[in-house]
Amino acid sequence: MVSSGALDVTSPVAERDAITVDSVSKWFPSADGEPLHVLHDINLKVAEHSILAILGASGCGKSTLLNIISGILKPDRGRVCINGVVSEQFKDWRSVSYMFQEDRLLPWRTALRNVEFALEAASMPKAERRRKAQQALELVGLSGFEDAFPYQLSGGMRSRVALARSLVLEPCILLMDEPFSRLDAQTRSLMHTELLRIHGLKKMTIVFVTHDVEESVVLADSVVVMAPRPGRVRERVAIDIRRPRDATTPEVTRYIQRLRALI
Amino acid sequence: MPTVLEQQIHAPAPPRKWRVDLVVQRLALVGTIIGIWWIASLQMPHYILPGPLRVWQSLRTISANGDLWHNLAITLGRVAAGFLLATAIGLPLGIVLGANKRLGEFFEPIIPVMNTISSAIWAIFAIIWFGVSNATTIFVVFMTAMPLIITNVWQGTRTVNADFIELAHTLRMPHHKVMWKIYLPTILPYFFSGARLAFGFGWRVSLVAETLGSSSGVGYRLRQAADLIQTDQVFAWTITLVVMMAALEMGALRPLENHLFRWKREAESF
Repeated sequence: MVSSGALDVTSPVAERDAITVDSVSKWFPSADGEPLHVLHDINLKVAEHSILAILGASGCGKSTLLNIISGILKPDRGRVCINGVVSEQFKDWRSVSYMFQEDRLLPWRTALRNVEFALEAASMPKAERRRKAQQALELVGLSGFEDAFPYQLSGGMRSRVALARSLVLEPCILLMDEPFSRLDAQTRSLMHTELLRIHGLKKMTIVFVTHDVEESVVLADSVVVMAPRPGRVRERVAIDIRRPRDATTPEVTRYIQRLRALI
Repeated sequence: MPTVLEQQIHAPAPPRKWRVDLVVQRLALVGTIIGIWWIASLQMPHYILPGPLRVWQSLRTISANGDLWHNLAITLGRVAAGFLLATAIGLPLGIVLGANKRLGEFFEPIIPVMNTISSAIWAIFAIIWFGVSNATTIFVVFMTAMPLIITNVWQGTRTVNADFIELAHTLRMPHHKVMWKIYLPTILPYFFSGARLAFGFGWRVSLVAETLGSSSGVGYRLRQAADLIQTDQVFAWTITLVVMMAALEMGALRPLENHLFRWKREAESF
């Protein structure tokens, strides 16, 4: 099997944390002058190779938290460490992929060229770029659609291209902001299966934000439930069910009910 | 000259299939026009309205003695020079004005003002500054084409999707690559429709400039023919111009646009 760089790391510590969020607080400026308190004293640890869901109603700051982890936003208080390195000093941001809520495919590029886009930030020979992009498309089950333009693809296929674009860098961390929320229920559940299959192969650490309780239980090893105004961690729930998880089984339903009560 | 508001950005039309009935229709139209022209010419002296046959003979004469190709090449060269100069300056200027809000706001009134200045006025200035030379025509084409290109590119920069910029940001893509890979492809359709407009206008105003300040080129020959009351030659030159513009449009510009913007097809419905 293809092994990603992240797999070969022989860590001195047995179970390393891929991400640690340490007392992070964030304020946004607002129109009336009073700064808006978005995040309050967030503490999180995400173990390497695990899947964490950040669950909460809209406006609880979960996307802001994800943006802080990705280094796009700076926290006003506290700090974030990626692979044990404080994010200000962390250099290897290209091993941290970000998948957005929308697919954000460039309409003027074919599927293959859209995947290549992620590799173009660094310099890499064109042939190698093409080969890697092709592999990534194959990984998400889109071989044969290399030359299709976004408008020619269905919502599910576009989402797969976006996933391939996030995976082509062989990230050790994959951050996802409600990545499947725009898909219909059936396609979404297909994408869940795909994501778990790829996670089984590549073993990257995944943090995803969602407001869909079922999605969080089906995918994650543990779920962090956030409360709004200001955004804070209400509870962390470990999901101890073997995969694949079927949303209709009683043990999954029990978790879903428990989490619903917490939101 | 259209105002800024009238310069609509239009998506390329889907490639037209060859329809036999349409070809027949077009031929019938050309036949009708030539027929009316011929009947009208029978009632008039040939120096007012020469008949189709007379114009055809005159066309053959100027094409056989090289007059046609020589002057056509001169005019086309001047238009191309003015147009390329307008692109080289207008494209980066439009991007800068669009990307920098404060600069854009400051310079915004200039473009409509420049658009209201008639090409004839530019031609007169050009004669004062450059005399009877190539530069006169090039300058007039340049001054006409540049505002059109700037306006369209400027509009294009406003449509750059902030989501794509954010995507590039998460990939830690350097700024010059963002310009090249996101700004430029977004602007390209706008630039193209501006450039098309600019080329068309440039071509028309080049004739004005050549009649006033040149001793060669199609515009110069047109005026000369008119002065000598060689009306059949005026017609011959005019027909040449129409045919050439149509050939450029259908043979080069439209296929190029269809190819470049094939990703836009049907994408409008999203």
